[in-house]
Amino acid sequence: MSTFSLKIISTDKVFYDGKCEYLVIPTIDGEKGILAHHENMVIAVEIGELRFRKPDGEWVTAVVSKGFAEIVNNRASVLVNTAERPEDIDVKRAEEAKERAEEQLRQKQSIQEYYLSQASMARAMTRLKASRNRRGDI
Amino acid sequence: MANAKEIKERMASIEETRKITNAMYLISSSKMKQAKKKLADTEPFFYAMQAEIARILRHVPDMHSQFFDGRESIPAEERKIGYIVVTADKGLAGAYNHNVIKATEELLKKPGKHKLFVLGEAGRQYFAKREGIEMDTQFRYTVQNPTLHRSRVISSEMVEQFRNGDLDEIHIIYTRMINAMTAETEEQKLLPMKKTTFLPEDMPALVGTGLYQEDMVFWPSTHSVMANIVPNYINGIVYGCLVEAYCSEHNARMQAMQNATDSATDMLNELNITYNRVRQADITQELTEIIGGANAQKRK
Repeated sequence: MSTFSLKIISTDKVFYDGKCEYLVIPTIDGEKGILAHHENMVIAVEIGELRFRKPDGEWVTAVVSKGFAEIVNNRASVLVNTAERPEDIDVKRAEEAKERAEEQLRQKQSIQEYYLSQASMARAMTRLKASRNRRGDI
Repeated sequence: MANAKEIKERMASIEETRKITNAMYLISSSKMKQAKKKLADTEPFFYAMQAEIARILRHVPDMHSQFFDGRESIPAEERKIGYIVVTADKGLAGAYNHNVIKATEELLKKPGKHKLFVLGEAGRQYFAKREGIEMDTQFRYTVQNPTLHRSRVISSEMVEQFRNGDLDEIHIIYTRMINAMTAETEEQKLLPMKKTTFLPEDMPALVGTGLYQEDMVFWPSTHSVMANIVPNYINGIVYGCLVEAYCSEHNARMQAMQNATDSATDMLNELNITYNRVRQADITQELTEIIGGANAQKRK
């Protein structure tokens, strides 16, 4: 299967830099799959799970937050604020963050604070979901 | 000349102070190491981000986004300009806070309606006392240990104010570390963004000729992509500035504490010499008195 080069960069590290066969990106209206020789495109990435298959057939999952992906000349770069492996997620911390966000959402607050809490809620939920999937105990 | 006991007390107090400054030096140096690592970790992201934005703008030159709206119709005196000022939470960092405040004062002389968003307790206290300055008192964040979360809160607040027209321009004033010895106070414009700032200056001939105009599709739409990228980009810059400033602050404090420790050592050396001299003088005097007394006894 033909491959393309993929680079996933988050604010604190380069998550992946190498060849990839198949990439699935979470977008605003669902997931988007990308194969080699995709047309040039810029995609808005949403908070969610990103997956890609390496040339050796191994699937890698990453929990990503907002950002964008760009495909030019068979090269894809994904720039997101955070990218984590499901096994690196601190479940306890994510649960606490979820509770905190729920608490904040319940209280009366400005629109801007509402968006912030909503975003932290989405991040916490995705992290929890990804780490549960890994253990296979939904 | 002071007596030996006084000098001893003075030396003890200097010794105590030196211990404190030395400890502060060590703390700052370890904090700076952490900050430097953070800075190195974030660098690839910011360079890539800048390059990507430049590329996108090259491909879509006629993009209409509110983030690029210069609002030129507003005259200079009427423009509402917001400044994010990054200072330290504490003093004892040499000229670090002073330099930032001085740079801000220079900017405040320019025309326009200024509003300050001050980060760090030192700057906040200075501008709270100053008359005729509008400062957002709700804007309270620490500069210790910059996190992505804090920069997200800050940048979303600023972007929101820009969007609803409370501010027409947003600048950030921070200290950039050039190398271990020199740091420079810098001002950077966050919003509105200028297309030209992203264009490569060395090839103006290519701009607009269509040479770089490959087709590029935006998914789901240009607008939603830009709405995703720009706040992210601003967040990135704010985070970068915070880390950079944190690094400079600890570098400045490290140098200041190093100087303090050095001069404490110098003072101790000098006082030690004085103390020895005084002690010697005391002994000599005592001996003279004893010999004088003995001589007087003999003569009897």
